[in-house]
Amino acid sequence: MILRRVQYEAAAHAVGPFLAALEDWRQRRRKRPARESPFAPPLESLRALKDMMMVHYLSGRYADGAVPVAWVTSGFPVEMLRTLGYHTVYPENHAAICGVQRIVPALSDAVEAQGYSRDLCSYVRSDLGSLDTGKSPVGRLPRPDLLACCTNICQTVLYWYRDLARRFDVPLVLVDTPFIYGEPAPHQTRYVVDQLEEAIVIAERVAKRPLDREAFSETVRLSREGSDLWGQCLDTARSRPAPWTGVDGFFHLGPVVALRGTEACNAYYRTLLDELKDRVARGIGGLKGEERHRLLWDNLPVWYATREITTLLGSQGFNFVCTTYTNAWAEASSLIDPADPMTSGARSYSQIMLNRDLPNKLRLLERLSREFGADGAVLHSDRSCKPYSIGQVDLKDRLARDLGIKTLLLEADHNDPRSWASELSANRIGAFMESFS
Amino acid sequence: MTREPYIRRQREEHGRRSVAVLPVHYPKELLTALDLLAVEVWGPPGAPRSDAAGRIQAYVCSVVRNALAFLASGGADAVDAALFPHTCDSIQQLATLPSDFVGWKKPTLPFLHPKYPGRPSARRFLAEELRALATRLEEVAGRKLEPARLAAAIALHDEIDLHRAALLDGRATLPLDDRALYALLRRGEWLWPGDHLAELREARAKLGTGRPPASIPVLVTGYVPEPSALLEILNGAGAFVAADDYAAVGRRVVRDDRPPTADPWQALADRQLAAPPCPTRAADQGPRMRHLAGLAERSGARGVVVHVVKFCEPELFDVPAIRRTFEARRLPVLYLEGELEAQLSGQAVTRIEAFVEMISGAGGAA
Ligand code: SF4
Ligand code: SF4
Repeated sequence: MILRRVQYEAAAHAVGPFLAALEDWRQRRRKRPARESPFAPPLESLRALKDMMMVHYLSGRYADGAVPVAWVTSGFPVEMLRTLGYHTVYPENHAAICGVQRIVPALSDAVEAQGYSRDLCSYVRSDLGSLDTGKSPVGRLPRPDLLACCTNICQTVLYWYRDLARRFDVPLVLVDTPFIYGEPAPHQTRYVVDQLEEAIVIAERVAKRPLDREAFSETVRLSREGSDLWGQCLDTARSRPAPWTGVDGFFHLGPVVALRGTEACNAYYRTLLDELKDRVARGIGGLKGEERHRLLWDNLPVWYATREITTLLGSQGFNFVCTTYTNAWAEASSLIDPADPMTSGARSYSQIMLNRDLPNKLRLLERLSREFGADGAVLHSDRSCKPYSIGQVDLKDRLARDLGIKTLLLEADHNDPRSWASELSANRIGAFMESFS
Repeated sequence: MTREPYIRRQREEHGRRSVAVLPVHYPKELLTALDLLAVEVWGPPGAPRSDAAGRIQAYVCSVVRNALAFLASGGADAVDAALFPHTCDSIQQLATLPSDFVGWKKPTLPFLHPKYPGRPSARRFLAEELRALATRLEEVAGRKLEPARLAAAIALHDEIDLHRAALLDGRATLPLDDRALYALLRRGEWLWPGDHLAELREARAKLGTGRPPASIPVLVTGYVPEPSALLEILNGAGAFVAADDYAAVGRRVVRDDRPPTADPWQALADRQLAAPPCPTRAADQGPRMRHLAGLAERSGARGVVVHVVKFCEPELFDVPAIRRTFEARRLPVLYLEGELEAQLSGQAVTRIEAFVEMISGAGGAA
């Protein structure tokens, strides 16, 4: 246990940072031929981001046996776990890395052979496949002591975590957030508060220590600050030209998902915000050339084809300046009050977009489009994510009608490239761009 | 009589208003106590009734796509409201589409049953959510809910379930084919409970007087027995449904002996929680697999038919566990996936026939 703890701390504070620095140095020395690209040079902060995530995953390899480990859904109120000293792992984040690396078909094949349907969310298939095959771009994930699931993004995560609980034979804590039609009823918020209290009891038992309520408030404060900082980073794209592409945001999202509630996360976003503000001041845009059209992106990224899509659009001066996906984490902790973390946390985590009705989503899409000056919207119709995708046909029509902007419904699957028709999609994107002329 | 004239007659003769109800679990007792006729909408099966199905992507289940098309086509205009239980992500989203985007003018009521219902918080929430729903149903019914009427409705539905359980459990001694039995059981989806009870009593009197027209017992687990031709093909091939775990049928039959309680609200919550394990309530797989194994064992099933709706995540997530459970018991499993088609495909028919032939061999081992 002590040795394990030493290894964990060393990975987090010495070996990890050292390896990250070494990798930086190697990258700088490596003379790569410049890639033909419509994008401005990458943000300097990207290096710090990579380092941070690398250290997170590297330390994770030594976490089991050293500290309590929780596998957590992206919308779970993580602050309580953070305060109890858990190392948190986000299977969705890990699955996305598998998606970027294009290893999902092999992982999915492994679980499909056991009877898991290809119609299940590809994040689930990626992660269960990674568990079964032992294949992972990050080496290995630490074994969980606790599974923490919140249904504010979908019910799928509950089925997924129930499966994990059987595999690992560890407790599963659930925060079941009633779906909000209109405004939340008081008994619905009370239900979430009750579940948070129940979750704390189990998390304390597994961590073998009580929750320090003062420290909890401080984590909540950090979490809220992190969400705010992330929101400010996103807001810089209101300027013309936007200092980055909304798609950069998909990658810079990592810390607010995986390290929300830590000072390291907030420090990172302060650096990023400074850099973005500096770009705005100097008139540097996310695209190399002129930013002719500004787009909104709805739904998860198409992880394996993000570059393909944005390059096609970027080469014609189309830039994604806002996305509902990245915006979700600016919302996640924004309503939390450190003085009353339970009730405010229950409200905040229940009110994220995916847990609210379609009129609310329409209002959000329209607000983002207006505030970021978007003149077009691409709605990714994601066959793997039904909660995000149902309603998009009407939302697309309403956006076009209410705001007079051009819209495109793009069929794909966020993680499984077998559902991606590259040529067909290119044609559709081409026609979409032509519609602006 | 079919649904629409029946709904009209209920209104004319009894002054009863009606509510369209989406699958799966909901407190029907509340509707009965308020003199509201529940008319369930499982799709309906067959081709979508209007173009509105295209407003939901083709990778979403046909239950939801057909339901939207049905509501948009005016198919449910005879009812006074629609109730959307919180069954899955798809129904949850569907609940906001008809009134917010498709022009459905009647009230839409969500019912948010808690997931993982064993927890104390879930129980409290269920009790409060039942009262919240009752308040909204009172508006639809135009009358107040009286506790005595609620108690009577619970007793009525207990009795209905008693008969349904008897028919399902004593299936092997009932001289009805599966199509007829399921038509009877599923008429409960839209008949006034009193009328349904009368039919059930009559059928129950036939228990022990004969046999089904086929001899090989199978367990069927899945969502909804559509198309009903499936049952005919099974019977024609020599098998019959000896144990049922359809979400639409067996999973809604409450068999538990619950402790008696004088408080009808508590009795109502107890009844909701006593239904067999169902993935749409995120039941733990352990108890569910034990429940299925028990059904197979008691009925002497020689094989298991898993019959799910394509793209239905709640059901699909349990399929690997079902396979493991029955592989360990050396019971063959036939997996069928459908989209509420009006007819079974030729390929599905061949697979069912081949499956029954296989399990009809000695011992039925795979
Ligand atoms: S991609 Fe969609 S369905 Fe899959 S886990 Fe995320 S929110 Fe749920
Ligand atoms: S078939 Fe499955 S996915 Fe479709 S409405 Fe029913 S539970 Fe939901």
